[in-house]
Amino acid sequence: MSVNLGDKEKGSKQDFSVSRRGFLKTGVTAAVMGVMGAITAPSKMANAASTSLSYQPSEGNWSKLRPKANYGGASVRSAEHNDQWLGTSKITGEVQRFDEQDGGFSLAIRGLLGEKAKYGYLTQGVRAPIALSLGFTVGFVSGPEAVDGPVSPTRLPIPDPEQMSQHIKDLAYYLRADEVGIGKMPSFAYYASTMTPPQGAFASGAVPLDAPIVKTPVTASLPNVIVVAVEQHLETYLASTGYDGISNSQSVRCYHASANIAVIMAQYIRTLGYNARAQHFGNYEAVMGPCLIAAGMGELTRTGDCVAHPRFGFRSKVAAVTTDLPLAPDKPIDFGMLDFCRVCKKCADECPSKAITLDPDPVPYNGYLRWNTDSKKCTEFRCSNEEGVNCGRCIKVCPWSSKEDSWFHEAGIWIGSQGQASSRLLKSIDDMFGYGTEVIDKYKWWLEWPELYKIQIPS
Amino acid sequence: MSTVLIFLAGILFLAGVLFIKPRAKQDKTWKTVIIWALYVIFFVIASIGVSFVYINASVGHVKATSTAIFLFGGISLILAVVLARVLGFIGTKRKANDSLQA
Repeated sequence: MSVNLGDKEKGSKQDFSVSRRGFLKTGVTAAVMGVMGAITAPSKMANAASTSLSYQPSEGNWSKLRPKANYGGASVRSAEHNDQWLGTSKITGEVQRFDEQDGGFSLAIRGLLGEKAKYGYLTQGVRAPIALSLGFTVGFVSGPEAVDGPVSPTRLPIPDPEQMSQHIKDLAYYLRADEVGIGKMPSFAYYASTMTPPQGAFASGAVPLDAPIVKTPVTASLPNVIVVAVEQHLETYLASTGYDGISNSQSVRCYHASANIAVIMAQYIRTLGYNARAQHFGNYEAVMGPCLIAAGMGELTRTGDCVAHPRFGFRSKVAAVTTDLPLAPDKPIDFGMLDFCRVCKKCADECPSKAITLDPDPVPYNGYLRWNTDSKKCTEFRCSNEEGVNCGRCIKVCPWSSKEDSWFHEAGIWIGSQGQASSRLLKSIDDMFGYGTEVIDKYKWWLEWPELYKIQIPS
Repeated sequence: MSTVLIFLAGILFLAGVLFIKPRAKQDKTWKTVIIWALYVIFFVIASIGVSFVYINASVGHVKATSTAIFLFGGISLILAVVLARVLGFIGTKRKANDSLQA
């Protein structure tokens, strides 16, 4: 009996015995799994400990809601922001600030691009009912009381600038921005003067056509800029020629969405006790291109001052908040857009007004280098177009702008961000597969009234 | 859906391995390596093609879909024929008859 018990005990001991090799294997496996878990586990674990105001950012992360900046597969490097470079844009001299009334649409309103362009611009809303409705709602957030206002006399305690930047990015995503960045505000990004009444007041009929335009000097100079972008609707672009009845609405839809985000964000910052001014389509005090580059949201393109993001190209509209809220600015980015634009030229080939230059390289313009697209020609076509209302053909055909999310488009974007040789390859592939120029009818959801497109010039 | 497709691709890959394994071993090591390399390249290109065509067709890119069918389908077909020939699945019958007659 005792012998049997002893055998049994011996047997059970054998059952539980682990060889040294097995023990080591188990140990190594557990260690590897632990390390993998620590690497891949989301920051939720760390953040779970955070409570209260001491906002605990996920270290090195873009934001809590979107821990990694989404560049759509592009190979992105940091670039400089100093007196010689704004990202990949070379500054060659003093960049002169603009008067808003010298912008394209303002020239059209002032009749400097011809009667057809003038009345084309002023009747855009009537000719495109969806755009009119969107523009109508932009009007509610365009007054001076909406974009700016009194700052709370009591400053609420806030986290340090890095943490506050993450929080502001989270707020932007929460408010349905597709992308957000924070930059040091370039002084030349402010207009020299704004126009009163603003463009939108003419387009909406809020003021008579012959109302005198007055220049109002811009004196603001806030150190930081928060830029939010809202993507234009991809499927709608896939179904559009880029210059048909929905073109104008594509823009105004995003102006409306980004304006709301900027106005809410600016009001929130003022409530915290800091200065903040919303900058949006209905009421700008600043030019958005340099703000976008400074905020690490893109590079200049062949289309002149349009700035492309690595993920959605320039198929977006943006708004901004200029502020003195302490923030840690992002760096400008370089993802090879200049190299790509040097070899692609698809926008120039497809532009209905032939306004986009075919120059091989950027040229000096107002103290910096850019492709010198003819903005007057572009605006004149956009205002005078009678095949639709306005135009966004360059956005539609750009290989960076016209793609849905998929692994092979991410691979393509990666290829395109590797220099001129690989950009040529991407351009060839893009052409071979017919991307950009195709019109996919199954997404055409909007109504068209071609009889409205004809521009009526009063005699 | 993508999880199911990846699982299916894995199963097909393993089925292919089991199917060609009895004939893959050659007299020279480099020939064996080439056969397995050909199989992997064939499978990767065929999988990329199926995924590419599926996504483009569902979005509605007509030209991309048709071009991809010809491009990836063509390359996959050529590789499959070469592989089948090397493995002796095709093109060996006549040789056997010739030797019988001799």
